[in-house]
Amino acid sequence: MTDFFENLNIDINSLPSSREESFQNLEKTYRKVSLIACCIFYIVVAIGIPLLFYFNDGLHSKTFYLWVALGSVLILWLIHSLFIIAAFKKKKYCIRQKDLVYSKGLIWSKRTTIPFNRIQHAEVKQGPIERIFKLHNLKVFTAGGNSSDLSIPGLTEDQATKIKEFILNQIETEEELENEH
Amino acid sequence: MNIREQYDQPQRQAGIAILIILIKFLKVTIKSAWPLALSFFIGNQSDKIETFAGLLVIGISLLNLLGSVLSYFRYYIQLQDDAIIIDKGILKRSKTNIPFDRIQSINFNQNLVHQFFGVVSIEIDTAGASKSELTIDALNKEKAKQIRDYILSVKSKVDETKTNDQYDLLTENVRKETILQLSNSDLLKVGISQNHLKSMFILLGFALTIVDDINRNFNGMVEEELEGYSNFIFSNQWIAPLFFFLSVAIISFMYSLVSTLLRNYHLHLELQEKGLKLVKGLINQEEISINKNKVQIIGWSDNPIRRLFKMWTINLEQASSTDANQLKSKITIPGSYIKQVNRVISEVFPRNIKYPMIEYGVSKLLLYRLVWYGSLLPFLLSMLSYFWIGWHVLWFMAWPLFHIPYVYFYYKKRSFEVSEEILKNNKGVFGNHYEMVQLHKIQGVEIKQSWYQRRKEVANLELFTAAGSLRIPFIPLEQAISLEKYVLYRIETDTRAWM
Repeated sequence: MTDFFENLNIDINSLPSSREESFQNLEKTYRKVSLIACCIFYIVVAIGIPLLFYFNDGLHSKTFYLWVALGSVLILWLIHSLFIIAAFKKKKYCIRQKDLVYSKGLIWSKRTTIPFNRIQHAEVKQGPIERIFKLHNLKVFTAGGNSSDLSIPGLTEDQATKIKEFILNQIETEEELENEH
Repeated sequence: MNIREQYDQPQRQAGIAILIILIKFLKVTIKSAWPLALSFFIGNQSDKIETFAGLLVIGISLLNLLGSVLSYFRYYIQLQDDAIIIDKGILKRSKTNIPFDRIQSINFNQNLVHQFFGVVSIEIDTAGASKSELTIDALNKEKAKQIRDYILSVKSKVDETKTNDQYDLLTENVRKETILQLSNSDLLKVGISQNHLKSMFILLGFALTIVDDINRNFNGMVEEELEGYSNFIFSNQWIAPLFFFLSVAIISFMYSLVSTLLRNYHLHLELQEKGLKLVKGLINQEEISINKNKVQIIGWSDNPIRRLFKMWTINLEQASSTDANQLKSKITIPGSYIKQVNRVISEVFPRNIKYPMIEYGVSKLLLYRLVWYGSLLPFLLSMLSYFWIGWHVLWFMAWPLFHIPYVYFYYKKRSFEVSEEILKNNKGVFGNHYEMVQLHKIQGVEIKQSWYQRRKEVANLELFTAAGSLRIPFIPLEQAISLEKYVLYRIETDTRAWM
């Protein structure tokens, strides 16, 4: 690795890096949750379109267009589902000694890192479909506004509460240290 | 009798607050109801719905009027040893208890009426809570100052026992020194070098909405009126538009000149305990205290005209809890020379000078991408459209002539600098714009890559702070990762508080 930033007092190569193998995938069942949520959305759309054609006088007799519309919804749904399956593998998180890393994105990838001592609070949430599969969503809030808040889906209850407690513990010890100073 | 004893029992505001509340009420009512009121008086009276709506508006206004007068009598201020209490409200009563250590800053504001009667309005800014601001409409200026001094003195006593940072204590001893005072000639320079194009757009937009508003309410009255002008314009193909353009340019120049002079009249910036104090304005006099711990980003910028005067505009961006407050937490100080800019930076971000900075450019791929998506692709598309719109396409084809130099200048000036304390972003096209953040005030780091960037092994880096984020586009992936590691290391090991 080349040396950037020679003016800094520390050898950057000696700092811990987030290696690929230390990242953890989300629970496999979360893929099902996303697929079901996606499916429900397209079912609602697919029910809505015939209703629109039925009640709108201008479209009432145009059966051909109805099939075209439904067909394109079907194709969109297939593409979206394939996309979800492919993107699932990209969603990974990693808990390091002093920060939390979450990476995602199939086309536009991003990796966000939030140090524990900048976390304002953390909460565990659960949506209706996630409840069926006993999955949880961990949300981490910082002072950096919406764009820097993290949300890690697809965790088991055990994982979610453990991470949350770990973070809250870290914040507490951090504060104690600060007060001693 | 000291101020604490005076406000031991709940007290009302100064009596003149009634007048100020009334003026505030009138402003709001006129602003929201003037088109309706106009059409009510001038429009055709026979329209029953319109009459009813008009009466309804008047009724609501009267109720509001009563409410705002009564609100004066139901607004009490009380001081305690460690908190200020505001008791207010007629139907929905509320009692707010603000502990002094939650107060971030106390700002004074004086419009013409305030100045005439020697009162000030006070804004108390608190941290963290969703409703982070509290306004007292009018208090006697002397009393307001005493209250502020009392709160600040109690607060600093508490804070002193808490902090131990040697460096911070050292700088506390320097106090009450004027850093910047705009002389009348400097003020004129600031006014002349304002971004007049911006005020031209605002003015045009404003004029168009008013024309539209009146037009809607008077069934095309303005359109008829303007018909004559438009005939005039079209019959003198060149002279009239030129005349129109010139007059808009002159009006907007005058507008931005005068508004800048009024807003920044007698601007003066002085050093204060824990930060800076900014006083400015003629009709509306503002007194803003800036807590240096709250400042997250310092920016300074110029434009081609300002560069002639060697003047910079300083931007101090403070941490804010809600997005709505974003505007208020950004403080602009125009008309500073580079010496004063450096002074402000070294006051607000102490320790930054100790470390050497090294500058790094961004990847040339950024320039290629911008030229491709901004110029070449539109150019090719417009060539295709020749078949539909004919020779008019030449107008579109002139676009790259402006765009390519523009992105080239952007690319040339885009760079960043790092030291152990500071990250600095350099940008600008015709002018220069710099922004700087202390590394330990960063809240999180993000590395972003598009599909194209992954293939070329470059990345964008985004650094989140409590006052917006800093972006560094198109740097080598390895460099981005190194910077990410270093920034995280600095956040995680620095024991200073970020606010």
